Amino acid sequence: MRWWQIGQRKSDLERELRADLDLEEEEQRESGHSPEDAHYAARRAFGNPTLIREQTLDMWSWTHVERLLQDLHYGLRQMRRAPAFTATVLLILALGIGAVTAVFSLIDAALLRMLPVQNPEQLVQFKTVSPSFPVDDAFSYPTFKALRNQTGVLESALAFRRLHNIDFEIGGHSGLAEGQVVSGNYFSLLGVRTALGRTLLPSDESVAGQNAVAVISYNYWQSRFALDPAIVGEKILLNNAPFTVVGVTEPEFYGVQPGARIDVSVPLTTELLVNPGFAAAGTRYDVLTAPYRNWLYVIGRLRLGVSREQATASLQPVFAQSTRIAADALAGFPYVRQAYLQLRLRLDPASQGLSALRQQFSRPLWVVMAIVAFLLLIACANVAGLLLARANAREREIAVRCAIGAGTGRIVRQLMTESILLALGGGALGMALAWIGSRTLLALMEHGRTLITLRVHPDPAILVFALTVTLLTAIVFGTVPAWRAARTAPAQGLSPSRRIARDAISHHRFGKSLVVVQVALALVLLVGAGLLARTLANLSSFYPGFNRDKVLLFSVDPPLIGYKDVVPLYQELLARIRALPGVLSVSMSVHEPLSTNVSDTAVRVQGSPSADGSDLTSVDVEPIGPDYFATMQTPLLRGREFTADDKGGTPEVAIVNQSMARHYFGDSDPIGRLVSIPLYRGDSGWMRIVGEVRDVKVHDLRERATLMLYVPMFQAPEGAATFEVRTAVDPESIQTAALAAVQAIDRRLPVYATKTLNDQFANSLVEERLVASLSTVFGLLALLLTCVGLYGLMAYAVNRRTSEIGVRMALGAQRGRIARMVLREALFLAGCGIAVGIPAAALTSRLVASQLFGLLPGDPVTFLSVCVLMAVMTVLASYLPARRAASVDPMQALRSE
Amino acid sequence: MKQKEQEKAALLQGTLDMLILRTLLYGPAHGHQIGKHIQRTTNDFLQMQHGSLYPALHRLERRGWVSSKWETAPDRNREFKYYRLTDKGRKQLVVEESKWRQMADAVARVMWPAAPGTEES
Repeated sequence: MRWWQIGQRKSDLERELRADLDLEEEEQRESGHSPEDAHYAARRAFGNPTLIREQTLDMWSWTHVERLLQDLHYGLRQMRRAPAFTATVLLILALGIGAVTAVFSLIDAALLRMLPVQNPEQLVQFKTVSPSFPVDDAFSYPTFKALRNQTGVLESALAFRRLHNIDFEIGGHSGLAEGQVVSGNYFSLLGVRTALGRTLLPSDESVAGQNAVAVISYNYWQSRFALDPAIVGEKILLNNAPFTVVGVTEPEFYGVQPGARIDVSVPLTTELLVNPGFAAAGTRYDVLTAPYRNWLYVIGRLRLGVSREQATASLQPVFAQSTRIAADALAGFPYVRQAYLQLRLRLDPASQGLSALRQQFSRPLWVVMAIVAFLLLIACANVAGLLLARANAREREIAVRCAIGAGTGRIVRQLMTESILLALGGGALGMALAWIGSRTLLALMEHGRTLITLRVHPDPAILVFALTVTLLTAIVFGTVPAWRAARTAPAQGLSPSRRIARDAISHHRFGKSLVVVQVALALVLLVGAGLLARTLANLSSFYPGFNRDKVLLFSVDPPLIGYKDVVPLYQELLARIRALPGVLSVSMSVHEPLSTNVSDTAVRVQGSPSADGSDLTSVDVEPIGPDYFATMQTPLLRGREFTADDKGGTPEVAIVNQSMARHYFGDSDPIGRLVSIPLYRGDSGWMRIVGEVRDVKVHDLRERATLMLYVPMFQAPEGAATFEVRTAVDPESIQTAALAAVQAIDRRLPVYATKTLNDQFANSLVEERLVASLSTVFGLLALLLTCVGLYGLMAYAVNRRTSEIGVRMALGAQRGRIARMVLREALFLAGCGIAVGIPAAALTSRLVASQLFGLLPGDPVTFLSVCVLMAVMTVLASYLPARRAASVDPMQALRSE
Repeated sequence: MKQKEQEKAALLQGTLDMLILRTLLYGPAHGHQIGKHIQRTTNDFLQMQHGSLYPALHRLERRGWVSSKWETAPDRNREFKYYRLTDKGRKQLVVEESKWRQMADAVARVMWPAAPGTEES
């Protein structure tokens, strides 16, 4: 018989049992009993019909399906009959599961997901390693071509480089875009499809300056051109150079750097068109020919069956030859040349793409993941407590079921099914919450200095994760209450009078331990939150070496519109802005303060051992304008600032910072000494040091000292520059005036990255703010949940112990004493939780020690405040139950017995 | 069900199967008849509730050792579900019987040793 015949099977069994039962009854009558006696005697001889039916049907294995359906139906009915309880449980579960899923989807998008290209596991990133230098990932064009030719181990290799702040002009309208230059085989190697037109071809990478074609991204096509199909073939201007749009990439593709925004891609042979200053075409520094200009990131696709080790070994000689050529070109710099010859090739897996995002957010995201995992555990404990209380309330129902023959296993199965139903409900709600939550998280992450454009897609991985979490949750919170409920003896369940003694002793033990667990977990979370919040506070109030209040920042890029000599322009601009009302002083630099960009080199100091270039210590070079330190309000320790007289034609000067002075000159005066930076500027002569300034934080608030060498902007003009304007009034109020001053000089001049120095400062703390705010929110949620759990336990206990309290009062206990008893018990539980929680918090806080700033993981102030907070909340949570206990009417309580 | 009763049930299950198969060796019978037969033959020693036969009967049927059919009883004017032994069931009965005999022998040897000095005390 098949399972669909189960109805027939059941009626068949009915018929069989009825037939035999009737026969038994007949026989009893025939042996002399009265009809009534025979009736009962027959049934006694036969046994429990329900049990028989169930056991018999059990023999046929498909009844499991029927039983499951029965359980589900019953479970749903139970849920419907107690809407408030169900809603509470669903909400708590949704919170826990939703939080965990939201964070996971973010981790998936930022850290885990494979690139949306063909066979990402074959991709490798090329890197160089050496004993003297940290790992580098940039290569020269000649080296790239040499490596790409090695088709023995590689299917091919691609190269790319980001282009920032591109002036994208179409039909007379300008806009700023982000993009990249790429090798001709970039799209074909990655297997990227087009939504419109074509992508780049290898033939586009042939001659320098030709094939000015551009491929735009789907996102950009959508946001700027509203999916206008006429975009293909349009003539555009990129940084004033004419290009033609030839295609649009598919929606899924976002480049090989998760989080980076790529609006437009052009062949790398057009670098001299879009970035002429950098490309240095026609000179011996030409990016397309100079063997030591390392500017391209390289990704290769291994041939099937070739391992990374094999490929590395095979490519090493080719790479070595390239470095030899590069080294030969550095004949004048023996120590650098030496370092070059020590470079070795390394291949790293690149299936998830390259990502600065990963380095930046990896740690914080995992910390947040741990936090929400704890929150989920607390939610589970909370729900388990609720279920336990409910199971106790359902004692009669369970007792009856035991009495008619259900085994422990059957009851456990039923209760587990209900738990799984609740978990699934909570999980579904949680997924919805996660969708909203991950968007919020992304919005929080996007306000940093690095432009992050992540999209969280509904990913099968996330669904599987959420489901797994849900089921595990159900098991965690469902099993124990189910076991405990099933083990209740039926007789005890059915008689009310024996409740007092039992309740007072054992039944609460598990509920209490749940509350203790919640308190401990909440403590760990709150301590973590406290430490991270204080870290943020410490960083926010940290003195970075300059005064960050009331300074406006903006950047311009004159070479984008064709300027060859920027000095007169900048001098004019400085003068005009200085003349504006409300402006105290103005200066300029190449990099923004607290910028992530690095421009470092090695320095030669005359009269010291490093004069021959053997000291390869990294020194950051920053061209700045006159009055820079006065504008930034950085203390000048020795000597003088640059003035307007330090320009082309006058003796070359430089200013050092404290760390650099100490490194090269020890305690002696650096003023008057001579330095040179031949690797940074080929035509650099000896510059005289005229000043020493205090160290400032250059890239990051947490960095160790950076060695800085400041040079006058007008003696070493570069292309783009950032202006710093110190104002007496709110900086945003003079923003329009400043922009107007720029436009007055040249209407076409693109201005970007306008913000205040305070904004820049705040943006540099985006990771800390993310982690601190999230951990605080979740920590407080955890505290709330725990207090609710504690309240629930106390209220329930008071409710059940009403008779006991009545007895106590009848024997003379004062109301105050009763209330204090409840309070004492609550505080005892909290105390146990704190006792367990503190060592746990001490351990876990050590794991985040590297995130902290200005305080130790075992910070006593934080720990103490959290304990006090927990104690106060405990008192608050047990206030109402205590009052209820104190207001018990002894006569009423005893009468109900 | 309490612990002890569960233990008793487990012990009885295997033996019960054997007894049913043996009873059916005489010829087809319905559940009630089988129960009565076992009770009568053991002089009321094995008194089980008749109802607990049915799970066993259905289990045997699922295993293919017995087959069932609705037939009219010869002496009453009603239909009952008659079980009969299949060939597989016949073979299984032999197997069960020999297992039981082996166990009985082993128990007997421990309880009533055959000759002094052949076993350690």
